[in-house]
Amino acid sequence: MEPCPVIIGVGRTKFGEHYETEPEKLVLEAGLMAETSAGIERKDLDACYLSDYFLQITNKIGIEEGFLSEWLELHIPMEKSRSFSSALLNACHAIQSGKYGTVFVGGVEKMTDRWDKIRDDLMLLEDPWSYYAGCTPEANHELMLREYIKKHGISGKSLDTFYTALAQIAVKNYGHALKNEYAHNPHGATSVDKVLKVRSEEHKPLGRYDFAPISDGATALILASPEVAKEHSEQPVCVVGSSSATDYVTFPSREDRTGFVASRIAMKKALETAKIKMDDVQIAEVYDQSTLLEMVSLEDLGFTKKGKSWLDIYNSCEDYKGYYEVDGRRLFVNMNGGLKADGNPLGATGGAQVFEVVKQLNDEAGERQVDADLRFGCVLELEGFGTKAYVHLLRRGLA
Amino acid sequence: MSSEPIERRVSYIGDRLRGSRCGVCGKEYFRPRDYCGDCGRKSFDKMEGVDFFYEKGKLEVCTVVTEPTNRFTKLGSYLYGVVSFHDGKVRVPGRLTDRILSEGDMDLSNFEGRDVVPRFRKRYAVSQSDIIPTISLAFTFADEYYPHQDYKVSKPRKEYETPGIVGYGVYVSKFRIKEGAMERSLPFLDEDAITAAVEAGKLSLIHSGVDQSLVGKVYVGSESNPYAVKPIATKVAQTLKLGEEEKMDGVQGVDAIDTEFACKAATSMFKDATALAYYPKAPTPYTMVIGTDNSQAAPREEPGGELDFFVGYGGSAFIFGKHDVIAEVEGWYSCTSDTPDFWRRDLEPYPRHGGRFTGEPAYFKHIAKAGIKLMEKLNLQPGDVDYFISHQPNIPYPVRVAEALGFKEEQYLPGLQVAKFGNTYSGSSPIGLAAVLDRAKPGERIVIVGYGSGAGSDAYSFVTTGQIGEKRRRQKFTVQHQIENKHVEYVKYETYRRFKLGL
Repeated sequence: MEPCPVIIGVGRTKFGEHYETEPEKLVLEAGLMAETSAGIERKDLDACYLSDYFLQITNKIGIEEGFLSEWLELHIPMEKSRSFSSALLNACHAIQSGKYGTVFVGGVEKMTDRWDKIRDDLMLLEDPWSYYAGCTPEANHELMLREYIKKHGISGKSLDTFYTALAQIAVKNYGHALKNEYAHNPHGATSVDKVLKVRSEEHKPLGRYDFAPISDGATALILASPEVAKEHSEQPVCVVGSSSATDYVTFPSREDRTGFVASRIAMKKALETAKIKMDDVQIAEVYDQSTLLEMVSLEDLGFTKKGKSWLDIYNSCEDYKGYYEVDGRRLFVNMNGGLKADGNPLGATGGAQVFEVVKQLNDEAGERQVDADLRFGCVLELEGFGTKAYVHLLRRGLA
Repeated sequence: MSSEPIERRVSYIGDRLRGSRCGVCGKEYFRPRDYCGDCGRKSFDKMEGVDFFYEKGKLEVCTVVTEPTNRFTKLGSYLYGVVSFHDGKVRVPGRLTDRILSEGDMDLSNFEGRDVVPRFRKRYAVSQSDIIPTISLAFTFADEYYPHQDYKVSKPRKEYETPGIVGYGVYVSKFRIKEGAMERSLPFLDEDAITAAVEAGKLSLIHSGVDQSLVGKVYVGSESNPYAVKPIATKVAQTLKLGEEEKMDGVQGVDAIDTEFACKAATSMFKDATALAYYPKAPTPYTMVIGTDNSQAAPREEPGGELDFFVGYGGSAFIFGKHDVIAEVEGWYSCTSDTPDFWRRDLEPYPRHGGRFTGEPAYFKHIAKAGIKLMEKLNLQPGDVDYFISHQPNIPYPVRVAEALGFKEEQYLPGLQVAKFGNTYSGSSPIGLAAVLDRAKPGERIVIVGYGSGAGSDAYSFVTTGQIGEKRRRQKFTVQHQIENKHVEYVKYETYRRFKLGL
């Protein structure tokens, strides 16, 4: 078995609006926390992998790496990519190749600085052709919902159950976020009725409480080789599988529009690399830009059957015990509140997902700590509307 | 600010919905490409250019966008969804246009699964100084106001000695305002003089069956081009692929030019289009003449606001040539004087109307003169003429001038369309001509006299041929169809002003 890269420390800022703080300072704050928890100094770093989607546009910032170099007085290699997961994937490759021993992975986004234009930016980022045709960041979710209902023939009473299940996801995630001191939006809908009421007021299949907010924030982690990890870390978490896949940029042109092919492929490959089975995964942070995406992601990752996810969710949430129950198996999903309630500062989001799984695996999640002997966790991060999918599989302990 | 290269590339593909078909496996794509994704290298040089401009699509699924992105905000709420072509071989994102959403529209199953037609529209709002972005990823339902029609090129059957009209099309939007005896057409928010020109041109190609690549010249007459400098005709030529397409360079082998002379910018060019068919060294097989206007008028309380009671919106297109002619040009006469009855200074948004010259020394003098001289030239009496059409700024003027020239109601009423569409400026008398051609029998004589403020008139005499009936079957979207249509939607004055202003 190849040596796995090891996460030896994680850090993050609170997600929300940070109008007093420059983006580069947010990433320093998260970075300092990660370094402290890893017990390393910045001089120990061999390289940095950073992620942000569009700081150049939202913040008129120059070369992000330069700011970090200036703040840290470092001249080591620094690379920038879009999502936190893509930065992490590249960092993993570098560690696995033996090139570096200790690497900093940091993500940041400052979206509220461009409040007035952010939805146009988000849509152009997602797919310019859909934007030209009038698409909004929410519309593709609603189209996928229509496709899903049609393909699986959900109607009548089942349709009510389906919509209730989506509302239950929102309530569940807000509930989780109440125990998350870093969450952007913990005080959302406390009841299914509230979610349904807002939808009906807005005349929408998915309402305000079904979508993730627009956030600022930063996240970071320290990734190390097993040798370095042995020296530094008492609570190492191994990245046993990491994979990504890509799909067409224009959602309508995809063959299957009831889920994400990229997620399915990425999960399959990640499981192969990790040499574990889907059943081994007990906790998952999935990319719930909307409640619908949490639902379809469970199917894409293989946790639930195609077209049946909503039933499992509904049955688990009628009397929610802190996990989804699928075929008698417990699955803890989005324990930090998900993107929906924890927040979604694009370039930093994946870092918060990893943060949560690492904390849970290490039994350090405080109030949110799940009542289970966790060994394997999974993080699914998307770019665009399923144009890219990244899956990271994490394991507690070095072996 | 707009990026000219991005606008050029996006509208080149998006206006016409260009794509590719793999010559090896038949897979189709929206957006042109050199290789098939499935066949790879072996498909190189085997990709065929296709487009979905004349195709019928199907709305697969849709949703209501209630909070658009910034550039779409002026559209309010709209339907947006997945549109498929060729039984699902190709799918594109699309916005449903020409629709003022009401609460009742929220049941999406009323819309999903229905056939749709691509419509050439403004893409979204930009600042006043920017390039106007356009796209055909806008759709309307095929079972409503605007039907789907195939564009079938037909091989010419007959060559005529005298050139004339070989096909035509009229486009007015489904939106109207009704005040007193007048109904007037107005644009939807994403329409303007440019989109009406393309739409009318498209309809004229459908009606004529003329091969688009044989159109050697296109004139677009308008006084409401949203650009002070930049022709509408280029958009028409590229979107309708007029002339030989030089694909590698992305140019069309056609001469395209805008003309302006108040309301006679189009009728003036009929004779030029006719003459081009004759030039012995380089005859032009077909020439398209478009008159298009989102007729301008100041708000009622402002100077020039009196026009606001009469202005309409629409376009007309006529194709002239020598093959399969439906109405031969028998003769023409034009007259001109420098009479300042109506004008718009540069940078002014709305035209002015002094009032002193409007009727007698402007409209009546020029139209009567041109009409009388033409009939003298051709040795015609009013009784020899089956239909008479003049420029139609309101209802009384064309009636008065027709009667002054000795015509009776049965001669001038069929071409009098102002009460249905308002004054469509450059499209005004041509829409009257189209209404007459929609019903004329072979061998009938039509006299049309256009008028443009400033001032001048063009009089023409056409004689219909035996082919007029067979071509009529090709056009469902007739003038009458656009008048008597249950999908016509009437709006209030405030909406009318907002729609005229547009995105």
